Amino acid sequence: MSGWLVTLLMWAVTYPARLLGLSLGRLHLPPFWLAFLRFVPVSVFAALVVPDVLGSPEWARRLVGAVAGGLLMWRSRNLAAGILGGFAAYWVARAAGL
Amino acid sequence: MTAPHAPGSAFWPPFWRGFRALLPLWPGMVPFAVAYAVTARAGGLSVWETQLMSLTVFAGASQFAAAGQFVGGGLSTLTGALALVATTFLLNARHVLYGLSLSRTLPLPWGQRLLAAQFLTDEAYGVTVVAGPRDPGGLSLAFLLGAELSLYAVWNASTLLGSLAGAALPDPQALGVGVIFPLAFLGLLVPLLDGRVTLLVALASGVGAWLLGRVLPGGVVILLAGVGGALLGARITTRRAARGKAT
Repeated sequence: MSGWLVTLLMWAVTYPARLLGLSLGRLHLPPFWLAFLRFVPVSVFAALVVPDVLGSPEWARRLVGAVAGGLLMWRSRNLAAGILGGFAAYWVARAAGL
Repeated sequence: MTAPHAPGSAFWPPFWRGFRALLPLWPGMVPFAVAYAVTARAGGLSVWETQLMSLTVFAGASQFAAAGQFVGGGLSTLTGALALVATTFLLNARHVLYGLSLSRTLPLPWGQRLLAAQFLTDEAYGVTVVAGPRDPGGLSLAFLLGAELSLYAVWNASTLLGSLAGAALPDPQALGVGVIFPLAFLGLLVPLLDGRVTLLVALASGVGAWLLGRVLPGGVVILLAGVGGALLGARITTRRAARGKAT
């Protein structure tokens, strides 16, 4: 199949998923599902972070970077500082041969 | 009732604040988009086809899966192409969660939803849900669109760069930029960890995703671990509330 046709089919299954959630805002939800939605960010972010650190072939250096970056962000509440500090710690670990 | 403001007057300041809020994630996005474009071009896609996928589908993991299959020649058959479309659907089903979560605090009329939906990503959702309410104007369409288009702009510009100059660029993986992606989401996660329940939910989803990731593709893992963790948190808090009422 041609590239553009496959692309359009991929778009046709991606866009509706993005639209569906945004369209359900006025749905009346019981307390359980409201609590569920409040926990979505925490669970999704954790699910994005942990496999990318521990599942990586260079997990030891990434773990050093993540711990350093996490502590910095916890103390400073500053995203950019945490990313830069974590990246610096990752490079220190890498230079040290970890 | 709040006073209605003049249309357009208050759009751009929150838009640019949202746009800037995504800047720390740019260094992590550029190499991924470049790598996608290089793979897609190597697989035989034209510059236009490579770019069209970044403009329409706009989903990193799915685009990688597609580019990889073009290289493998799997898309010459209808079955191969349909399998890729099914994979894309599974990988991106998690966006339903993001939209649902956003729409609770930011209800949008349908025209704005049609627009906002095209550019929704993990990153834009993450930053909007964390930084949006802290914005001077509160969580708004302008802030959301700024965050969304920030990533859309850098993703598409980097796709073009990779398509045209891929072979001449240094290998981004050698620079270790892969670690920026988890660091960015860690930065979004840390301020949310304000108690034992959120800590437990984060731990369960994170470790759960790591274990599931050994047998399942990435996007499905995020969906399952995301739903599982949020169910756990909801169960604990609603049980607590019920117990509080009973005593």
